[in-house]
Amino acid sequence: MATEAGAAAPLPRRRRLRLDLSTPALLGLPLGWLAVFFLVPIAIVAAYSFNVYSIDPGPHSFTLKAWHDFLHSPIYLKLFWKSVKMSLAVSAVVVVLAYPLAYFLALSGTKRKYVLLLLLIAPFLTSYLLRVLAWKVILGDQGVINSFLFWTGLRSPDHPVSQLLYSRFAVMLVLGYIWLPFVALPIFVSLESLDRRLLEAASDLGASRLQAFRRVTLPLSLPGIFAAFLFVFIPTLGEFVTPSLVGGASGYMYGNQIVDLFGTGFPDWETGSVLAIFLLGVVAVLTVAFARFLQPGQVATE
Amino acid sequence: MKTTGEGEREYRRSELLKLAAVAGGAVILGGPAALAKAAQEGATSESGRLQVLDWVGYGNDGGQSMFAQYVKTHPHNKPQFTHMTNESDALAKLRAGLKPDLFRPYVGWVKYFAESGLVQPWNPKLISNFKHLNPFMVKAGQQHGKQYGIPDDWGFDAILYRSDKVHPKARSWGLLFDERYKGRIAWFDDLEMLVIAGLYLKMAKPWHQTDEQLKRSQDLLIKKKHLVRLIWASESDLWQAFGSKELWIAYAWPNDWVQMKNKHLKVVYMRPKEKPIAWVGMFMLLKGTPRPHLAHAYVDAWSSAKSGKWLENNYGYGHANTVARPSSSALLKALQLTNPKAVTEPAAHLDRDIPRRAVYARMWEEVKAS
Repeated sequence: MATEAGAAAPLPRRRRLRLDLSTPALLGLPLGWLAVFFLVPIAIVAAYSFNVYSIDPGPHSFTLKAWHDFLHSPIYLKLFWKSVKMSLAVSAVVVVLAYPLAYFLALSGTKRKYVLLLLLIAPFLTSYLLRVLAWKVILGDQGVINSFLFWTGLRSPDHPVSQLLYSRFAVMLVLGYIWLPFVALPIFVSLESLDRRLLEAASDLGASRLQAFRRVTLPLSLPGIFAAFLFVFIPTLGEFVTPSLVGGASGYMYGNQIVDLFGTGFPDWETGSVLAIFLLGVVAVLTVAFARFLQPGQVATE
Repeated sequence: MKTTGEGEREYRRSELLKLAAVAGGAVILGGPAALAKAAQEGATSESGRLQVLDWVGYGNDGGQSMFAQYVKTHPHNKPQFTHMTNESDALAKLRAGLKPDLFRPYVGWVKYFAESGLVQPWNPKLISNFKHLNPFMVKAGQQHGKQYGIPDDWGFDAILYRSDKVHPKARSWGLLFDERYKGRIAWFDDLEMLVIAGLYLKMAKPWHQTDEQLKRSQDLLIKKKHLVRLIWASESDLWQAFGSKELWIAYAWPNDWVQMKNKHLKVVYMRPKEKPIAWVGMFMLLKGTPRPHLAHAYVDAWSSAKSGKWLENNYGYGHANTVARPSSSALLKALQLTNPKAVTEPAAHLDRDIPRRAVYARMWEEVKAS
């Protein structure tokens, strides 16, 4: 009784005060970090896009010209759409490839699943740049694949498969390779947290393994699938390193255009900022739209 | 000593005036030896590492021989390099706040930078090798009668191709747009491609195209872009792709020809009938630099005949020092290094200021995005 009475009694004023103060104190640092290193830079870039700030000396004032030009430019929007299509294709293919892998690791019951998981992410212990450059060796006209084709006699050295490197295909292949482990992880987590009794119940009720997968496993792992999809789609949409290394003229993506506008082309920070903010906006909208699918309860009840 | 930004500029301006007075006095009283001594004393009074914004291959990544004399004389002020991929990149870095002591744009940008307020003129009297520099190139570095650019390396934009694979129908820039070699062609990632298109389309002033002309040039490039495998921004990318036989034809510089010959490829460096574009590297001194004497000493080292010879032998570029000669007579002949006016008419079009550079840049970006 005494304990219950104690629990029901209001907290001493001092303790309440400490609780009230500790929350903002704990949140303050990450929020401050987010504000200073995320929101403020975005605001600055946005200011450049409206010519409030300008890299060029001299008078400048607020204008929507760069936004107007961008929205009326078939070239930039076409490039954006090309990048969306490439990212969508990469994300979809990689999710399809990663799912069986994650399924095996999570549900096969192998005792070595964490060792296998470690092996899966082992390539991440090496440099990103190195991994991309290694593909140049594999895909080149004198690379591993073409050398094999020459050896088998399927192609002659004078006619290598030259579409492998410096092409849209090369960009998509390398991006898929780079992001595959990132995709497998969230799917693995969602499958591993699956309540196995549901599968047993499905079996008891006469469901075949395929039916149990379609009606139980797959719907319950959808949050992991959506998370995985976004994990790939968002960064690859703004990707510029891989296209610049293996993409050549045809693998040029929206992210490359942003980089070029800020630096290597005649500096046009105004247009570059417009492109960057537009990308950010699209990603934000997509994240909000997909957020509802990332909640397990939501999906399970539907 | 004043500490404000404006104050620092005033201080440095007075320093420069003092420097000029010392230099002038030294010439009158003691001749070149005294002048060199005065410059040396000025340089030793400056502190910190010399900050150089330069191209890949011209710093500690292979270009050490060209400033070895400077490092020997100023071991405590060794150069520290930041790389630029082209002049636009350099401009973006400068506008964003990078503060090098000197950098190296090419001749087509001298007017732009001289009028930008970012740079200040050199004092040629502090550069002992200045008298050996090609007078035509020296003049190209002047703006409003002042020496804003000290000429150094020079060469051409022309076409490199594999003679065992490519059979040009004509000696023309059109080889970069030849449908027969789809997927084997490389362009250069620079708005200069619009100038090339203008030359190919026989425009009288490709550096000063009208809107209608620019549209024609852009349309040509967009139409022919499907032939292009690589649009290179860094020479190392070009060498890798050309050397591994992915490319047969490229917009290239003389050094690229040298590098591919070193890989035992059968290559020709073709001067198109529309004429190659010639370029001259111009060292420029940043306004407000705290190390003007050291910058002069660095450029002096680069301007020596010894450095020039090394550059010619190893990179296949010409050097503004007229005394410098490569060891190979074949190279001498191929690059016309004995011709003091190799970089201008009738041999080549000297690169020049593009008054509407921002418009050109936008249109080139659109070509890449198309």
